[in-house]
Amino acid sequence: MPELPIWQFDILLLILVVLFAVVALSIRNLMGAAVVFGAYSFMMCLIWAGMGAVDVAFTEAAVGAGVSTVFVVSTLYNTSATMRSRPGGLAFKLFIGLVVTIAGAFLLSALPDFPKWGASDSPVNAKVAPYYILNTIADSHVPNVVTSVLADYRGFDTLLETTVVFIACIAIYSILRVDKAKLETGEPAAAPVPRYDPGDSLIVRQASRFMVPFMQLFALYVIAHGHYSPGGGFQGGVILGASLILLAISFDLKSLLRQWSEKTLMLLVAAGVFLYAAVGLACMFMGGDYLDYVFLDSILPGEKDMARSHGILLVEIGVGITVMFSMIAIHINLASNGRFDRGL
Amino acid sequence: MDYLGYILISTGLLFFLGTTIGLLRFPDFYTRMHAAGKGDTLSTVMILIGCICLVPMGLLLALKILLIINFIFIGSPTATHAMMDAGNKAGATPWRKDSK
Amino acid sequence: MEKLIANFNYVIVVILMMIGLWSMLAQKNLIKKCIGMAIFQTGIILFFISIGAKDNALIPILTEAANHTYPVSDASKVANPLTQILMLTAIVVGVATLGVALALAQKIYQQHSSFDEDEILENERK
Repeated sequence: MPELPIWQFDILLLILVVLFAVVALSIRNLMGAAVVFGAYSFMMCLIWAGMGAVDVAFTEAAVGAGVSTVFVVSTLYNTSATMRSRPGGLAFKLFIGLVVTIAGAFLLSALPDFPKWGASDSPVNAKVAPYYILNTIADSHVPNVVTSVLADYRGFDTLLETTVVFIACIAIYSILRVDKAKLETGEPAAAPVPRYDPGDSLIVRQASRFMVPFMQLFALYVIAHGHYSPGGGFQGGVILGASLILLAISFDLKSLLRQWSEKTLMLLVAAGVFLYAAVGLACMFMGGDYLDYVFLDSILPGEKDMARSHGILLVEIGVGITVMFSMIAIHINLASNGRFDRGL
Repeated sequence: MDYLGYILISTGLLFFLGTTIGLLRFPDFYTRMHAAGKGDTLSTVMILIGCICLVPMGLLLALKILLIINFIFIGSPTATHAMMDAGNKAGATPWRKDSK
Repeated sequence: MEKLIANFNYVIVVILMMIGLWSMLAQKNLIKKCIGMAIFQTGIILFFISIGAKDNALIPILTEAANHTYPVSDASKVANPLTQILMLTAIVVGVATLGVALALAQKIYQQHSSFDEDEILENERK
């Protein structure tokens, strides 16, 4: 039996998560499928928190259970969200079912050879990970091992991951954005009309007006305190983006665009990646390798060997900026079908 | 202090059970949302107050959980209101006893 | 049976991956395909996280509040951070991919007024 702290609970959650996945895929109404998908993501977050992966659980709660569900709902917003069930095609589904069952059986045949769930001497835990655990405080004075490895030891990966988010934002922009000039010549199809007018509600507006400043304050805390607690650039950036998405949903899309115009959004998405890459270049200018924060010692304020910790903070801020404005830009594009006039 | 925490968490779970049964058994959208909204908020707040009683004597942690309770207490009823409003505008009709 | 419980997480991972794969291949609705892709991705992330979990281990945040003693003496009492770091990247890339897939689905809906694969193909052939 595995001796993880709450392994009975973990097994129950693992069975439940399969149930949620099956339900999310078989609901006819697509809005309901989006909501069950959000519940599935949240269940996954609980499983990972139970296995000791608190940073990953935090990111999944913010990104998977929060923003992903909003993306699916805002995609479905202007459409008729019911799955058509057509007769026939059962043979094809059964054939695919047979194929995936055989594939699954092949994968499961390796089950006896896997290391035990929870073994501390498995090959994964052998060589590289103990180095990070034992040396990260001595090297960079950052107790959160995940943050220090993400932004310092493996800083290249995080730079390129931020670039991936940036590229996704640009891709969605270029797929969906409808040009105003073309609108007047009548080139694209007519704007889809939602099934009912959502209208305005005083209660929702006041509650979100109250909550948004606290959400943003908490998100800034998460970014800044990512060295000492679960957190970091991604989680804080997603919460910041979610605060502005909340403004867009509860008020009007237009009122959000009046404060944060389209040009500002796209410039700031790029500014985050630029900040990250510029920190690396600054290290090169001071005489070191790319993204080697030790050489920033002379220009950063503070104690003598805290340069790595401060360098990590700078790049996390860059990541947070990019992720925040990417989430907002993607939501606006999806919810308004690229027209930027009226949406969720 | 610990036992108070256990009692509160168990009572919160009991209210969650009541919420779930109500969600399954009520005949109508509005009554179901009523059960879900009230029961969810109450149960979550009770479980969190139970957690306050169970943390080691640190004032900072208790204050943080109190802040979480505050935001759930504001956000969850607002969400329930928004859903009911949307259902009303989308045309859900209330259940009447004689229309069965 | 002992072996099954001792390696239960791998069984669930394979089941989730196969559910996601089946949905991507056999479902006709575009949104269900996107959701199937997301289920596949979270299944892989569950695999990596579960192989990094250790018995009676503490979380990899080496502070007093998480019951660590400084300096850390025994690395086998701390959950493996390396797999968690890789999966953090995977989650963010997953949401970016999901966003692009949903944008493509919405564009297809604008042209053909349907999320259903068969109707789109009929529309194309006209």
